[in-house]
Amino acid sequence: MRRALVTGGTKGIGLAIARTLAARGDEVVALYASDDAAARAAEEAMRADGFAYRALRCDVASAAAVDALFAAEGERGFELVIHAAGFTRDKLMLMMPERDFDDVVAAHLKGGFLVAKQALKAMISRRSGRVVFIVSPTATLGRIGQTNYGAAKAGLIGLTRSLAREVARFGITVNCLCAGFVETAMTASLPQKARAELLAAIPLGRAGRAEEVAAAAEWLCSDGASYVTGTVLAVDGGLT
Amino acid sequence: MTDLKQDIKELIISSLNLGDVTPDQIVDDAPLFQEGLGLDSIDALELAVAIERKYRVTIPDEAVGKKVFSSVSALAQYVSENRPPA
Repeated sequence: MRRALVTGGTKGIGLAIARTLAARGDEVVALYASDDAAARAAEEAMRADGFAYRALRCDVASAAAVDALFAAEGERGFELVIHAAGFTRDKLMLMMPERDFDDVVAAHLKGGFLVAKQALKAMISRRSGRVVFIVSPTATLGRIGQTNYGAAKAGLIGLTRSLAREVARFGITVNCLCAGFVETAMTASLPQKARAELLAAIPLGRAGRAEEVAAAAEWLCSDGASYVTGTVLAVDGGLT
Repeated sequence: MTDLKQDIKELIISSLNLGDVTPDQIVDDAPLFQEGLGLDSIDALELAVAIERKYRVTIPDEAVGKKVFSSVSALAQYVSENRPPA
């Protein structure tokens, strides 16, 4: 049984990935930032299906919190790490408080750095491992109101390309999964007009489902993807 | 300290898969990386992980790593000074 760490794994795309991995027999540890109720609900639902799943509260932007988590989880660590945690705080940049920039970059980009850094130790010892960062079309296309989010996600793509080279020797692959427009709590706040424009720009003409993103994540974690590293796999209906 | 140096040499050989090297071929005060054994900075990553796991000693950054990996003697010194009490 592989062990998977899924940040943001109690809601949205992260939860769908956790469910897909758990359903194929992986033991999943999901991290969440603050929503205890959602975490307990996810645990109940997953356990009802007989899946090995635990949800732990952990601020991935905090090195101390991430280090403590890995210390508590033991030396075996995780075979798979999927960084799906994150949130948006959209504003036009000239109206964006420094804090909104810092917080979004901290959760997505720094969180990815901190979690991967800890996870790699066990992966290097084992000489195998998979790291997947969930990114967004905003990283490459841009979107009004998302300078913070776009910068953070583009940063993860850059991190991926370099890290993939650093750890390739150890049989560890590092990839980004670019998740297009998926109906989740995070995207529910999108204004109606922006939503309509976005859907119109998607060649497949519809929003994606979290399960469709999860299927790609599962593949990146599978033996079939053993020769894939340092890349960005887009699951976005053709948007990018 | 002599035992620790011997231990560390064995750890270097096993963690970096240097099957054709014996501990007595590793000179205490010779540089481990670039020259010496011809190891590079990516090998150093693996050794840093092995050191952390075996001795519970973290090599926090590159500056420390550079100093500590300068030789087996420097590494043994660092490990003995920073090891948590058994």
